[in-house]
Amino acid sequence: MSNCLLQACNIKKTYGTVVKTEVLKGIDLSIQQGEFASLIGYSGSGKTTLLNILGALDKPTEGEVKFNGQKISAMQDEELAYFRNSNLGFIFQFHHLLPDFSVLENVLIPTWIKDGTANKNRIERAKELLEMVGLKDRINNNANDISGGQQQRVAIARALINEPSLILADEPTGNLDSDTTEQVYALMRDLNEKLQTSFLIVTHNDHIAAKSDRVIEIKDGNITKDFMTKEKEEGEIWQDLAPCYCKLKDERESVL
Amino acid sequence: MKFELKLALRFLKAGKGQTLFIMLGIAIGVAVQIFLGTLITGLQEDLVNATVGKSPHIVLRSESTKITQREQDDDSLLSTEGNFIKDERSLSNWEPFLTYLDSQEQLTAVSPVVSGNAFLIKSGLRSPLVIRGIDSDRADDIYRFEEVTTSGSYQLSGNQSLIGSEIARTYALDIGDSFLIELAGGTSEIFIVSGIFDLGTQGINETWVFLDLIRAQRLLDFGGNISSIELQVSEVFKADQIANQLDRELIGADFTNWKDENASLLSALNSQSSSSYTIQFFVLMAITLGIASVLAVSVVQKQRQIGILKAMGTSSKSARNIFILQGAILGFLGAMLGVFLGFLLIQGFLFGTAAATGDPLFALNIRFNQTMVILLITTLASIISAVIPARNSAKLNPIDVMKG
Repeated sequence: MSNCLLQACNIKKTYGTVVKTEVLKGIDLSIQQGEFASLIGYSGSGKTTLLNILGALDKPTEGEVKFNGQKISAMQDEELAYFRNSNLGFIFQFHHLLPDFSVLENVLIPTWIKDGTANKNRIERAKELLEMVGLKDRINNNANDISGGQQQRVAIARALINEPSLILADEPTGNLDSDTTEQVYALMRDLNEKLQTSFLIVTHNDHIAAKSDRVIEIKDGNITKDFMTKEKEEGEIWQDLAPCYCKLKDERESVL
Repeated sequence: MKFELKLALRFLKAGKGQTLFIMLGIAIGVAVQIFLGTLITGLQEDLVNATVGKSPHIVLRSESTKITQREQDDDSLLSTEGNFIKDERSLSNWEPFLTYLDSQEQLTAVSPVVSGNAFLIKSGLRSPLVIRGIDSDRADDIYRFEEVTTSGSYQLSGNQSLIGSEIARTYALDIGDSFLIELAGGTSEIFIVSGIFDLGTQGINETWVFLDLIRAQRLLDFGGNISSIELQVSEVFKADQIANQLDRELIGADFTNWKDENASLLSALNSQSSSSYTIQFFVLMAITLGIASVLAVSVVQKQRQIGILKAMGTSSKSARNIFILQGAILGFLGAMLGVFLGFLLIQGFLFGTAAATGDPLFALNIRFNQTMVILLITTLASIISAVIPARNSAKLNPIDVMKG
């Protein structure tokens, strides 16, 4: 627990001015260097809100977030943008590649944002990353001409190009089939081990959660569970995950 | 800025249809501006040229008995003594004026004139004449004898004369024929027709006779004096300013300029110009609104992309610049295309009017400066029109646009 990367203190988030809804009710959380953590919880529990606040996309109503000891809640727009660009990688459920650009260009966009253009080294790095995610032969395809799983892998490569120390992923496998989900997970895990990049993954997928180093559960704006998977037996882990999983299933069925 | 430019270009390229339509819209607007502007300028030049092209722009006469030049270091006192024998005052000792006026850069022609009234007598017929005694080389700078002489030559010496085409027609005079000029006092002298001119004005063609300056001075009993000095300026519309400037410089001289004498023509030209500017202004408004609406739609279409770009570290300023640049690019390229279209329109106009008569109605020249101004204004207006969409882009919150 020596290399603390991200530290959130007493994060509160309230929406609305007349009718106030408190989404986060005082979250304390820290993420370690190289950690692969899952953030689970029901829909509406505040997972995404927390992720957005940790990723400096949103500001907490109360509390503060420190990244490598730097207070990010105090930063102004441009400073914040630069901070996100150099320290964080984002992966979203709907991959959000830019459709007007090729696969390689999409991976290079964070570099462009940083330096205006990409030099040879960066282009080589982008190609390496695309090779790592298994899309070496797709680099010149248009971002829209590849499958959903492939797009998500491009998004992962893009999140990694500026060598961030933390990747925040919001349901990265949310709209992928189970085989592809497995592939994407394996890829993230592999990159986590190879590059020592920390991952915080919001997920509804308990398989991914079970395989993480750490599982954090949020319920009604509070952290209800936070444990390291290696400290528990496999059965125990599943038990811990089960209520969430079952209710999720109920929810799915009620929708159907 | 490189990154913003890259995205701006790519966004424009991606929305090919939209880009093409709005660019064509701008181009048509600019083409209309160019065409209209050139047409109005061409028409005005044609009118002004017809009015003052072959006549003096400024005429210097004597106001008092003495003309002096203001605060000269040297002792060049330019002066004239009043000559009250004639109805008009005349200028004596006028040669220093010529030297002074010749040295003025804005003057393109300086021509001393002796003028007086007389009668032409031929085969028992008698009609009034206006005698213009000139130095034919200097007067040529104003009257362009080469162009207006319909037959014969315009070099004058001795008892040679240049007569108006109407006089020639009325009296059946041809080159080499002679006629008698009689003054009110009874003096008369015989002159020979050496050339016939057509200055385009009935009154002048009916009455004017050009004689050699020295011969006319003698005939009209001017001695060494002259009636006036006629001037042309390089910039026709500055004639009044130049006249005022000369007036301050030469005390006692009286200047008249064509602008004062053609006030109604000028006010017509002015109102023509202002209606042209009004049309150009509204065309510009239409262009601006067109760009603004296209970009506003584009921001909405691209809000997810802008959201992800912001999440990846694009600042609000950059997000704004991407759209400002799109406006600038649309405006500039559209205007360039418009200049080309405008050029085609003008060529079409020249060709069309030439088809009927063999000669274009009047000359049209695209002005480089005018075109640059239109290019600049259109580009600036396009940038301004992009401000509101760009601000919306800057305001987009990534977490709002990426939900679901």
